[in-house]
Amino acid sequence: MSAIKSVVISCAGIGSRLGLGLTKALVKINNRSLISWQLELFKDVEDVRIVVGFQANDIIEEVLKYRKDVTFIFNHRYFETKTGASFYLGARHAYDHVLEWDGDLLVHPDDVKMILEQEGEFICYADKTSEEAVFVKTDEKGNVLEFSRECGDYEWTGPACLSKEHLAYCSNNVYNMFEPFLPMRGIKVRAYDIDTYQDYMRVSEIVKDWKI
Amino acid sequence: MKILFDLDGTVTAQETLPVIAQHFGVEEKIAELTAQTVQGNVPFIESFIRRVNILGDLPVSKISELLDQVPLYPQLYAFIQAHRDDCVIVTGNLSCWCEGLHNKIQCKTYCSEAEVVDNRVVKLKSILRKEQIVDLYKAAGEQVVFVGDGNNDLEAMRHADISIATGLTHNPARSLYAICDYIIFNENALCRQLNQLL
Repeated sequence: MSAIKSVVISCAGIGSRLGLGLTKALVKINNRSLISWQLELFKDVEDVRIVVGFQANDIIEEVLKYRKDVTFIFNHRYFETKTGASFYLGARHAYDHVLEWDGDLLVHPDDVKMILEQEGEFICYADKTSEEAVFVKTDEKGNVLEFSRECGDYEWTGPACLSKEHLAYCSNNVYNMFEPFLPMRGIKVRAYDIDTYQDYMRVSEIVKDWKI
Repeated sequence: MKILFDLDGTVTAQETLPVIAQHFGVEEKIAELTAQTVQGNVPFIESFIRRVNILGDLPVSKISELLDQVPLYPQLYAFIQAHRDDCVIVTGNLSCWCEGLHNKIQCKTYCSEAEVVDNRVVKLKSILRKEQIVDLYKAAGEQVVFVGDGNNDLEAMRHADISIATGLTHNPARSLYAICDYIIFNENALCRQLNQLL
């Protein structure tokens, strides 16, 4: 079992920027759905919590092929809210220190193992790959000082881990929930968002070498 | 906090109605009525009245004995035993039919009621509206969690502070997907979530 006991995977969104007509959890990366990759990476996590909204039935059906003891959480207001609301709903009744994980994020398996062994609060970030990202500014030790839309040292990708005493409802982005508690420990990881079709093609190439 | 549970298929690991129907050889009638109800062609209250009309002539003590033998989900049963003061069973079933089961589960229970004469149901006295029990506890200042799987749990789940649709015995009614906070398909995960809520 991992040190982190609760992981919240946010899969409620409509995946509109990707343009494949599917919610991102169901997009196939090298013949397997994105959510099945994540379930494999979290197989040692006790409490896997998946927030659903758009195409909830299809996601539930797909997840149950791989794992039955998942808690599904509904974000019924997925169209009006962002990932902050999904994380709040997924985390509010979880174990303490909840790992936030976007449904469109893949992280290198070795880094996932390392993340799951961490204790306390932290924020993960990756090398910059996009011009339209949210960036993080860090100090010399890698601690996260600030999130920025303009510039920064790295790209904010998540995951991130928050203590439940810091959890408060937020209809905005999940990184906004961490802003009041900065500076916070930062961890650099090999993380890949799948926002656009280009991201999708790139990640499909990258995962070919992954052994999980 | 009060955790309210539907009984059939939520706490029991088997639906109770087919068990009774099979024993008394009225499976076809009950199966047809159940199918019509599940499809939404017969509203729950009407379905319940028709069900009691089919089963009312059968000996109450035998039905209670049969239901007593229906297996319960063991972890969930243990959870209820460990938190008897926080747990409540809310079932549309008649209290006279569920006596054996309730003696076993031993927590506060709300049921529908009937008049029994000579071991037979002669008159339906009340049909439980589960949402009224939710409202009762909320009015008393309790935070209410409702755990259920059927279309007849919909209003209770809508009224509850936190609602958990379960798919342990069969898939939860699709209507619940539109209003519930959680859906859980595994007993272990359900008990974990209930412990996290306490």
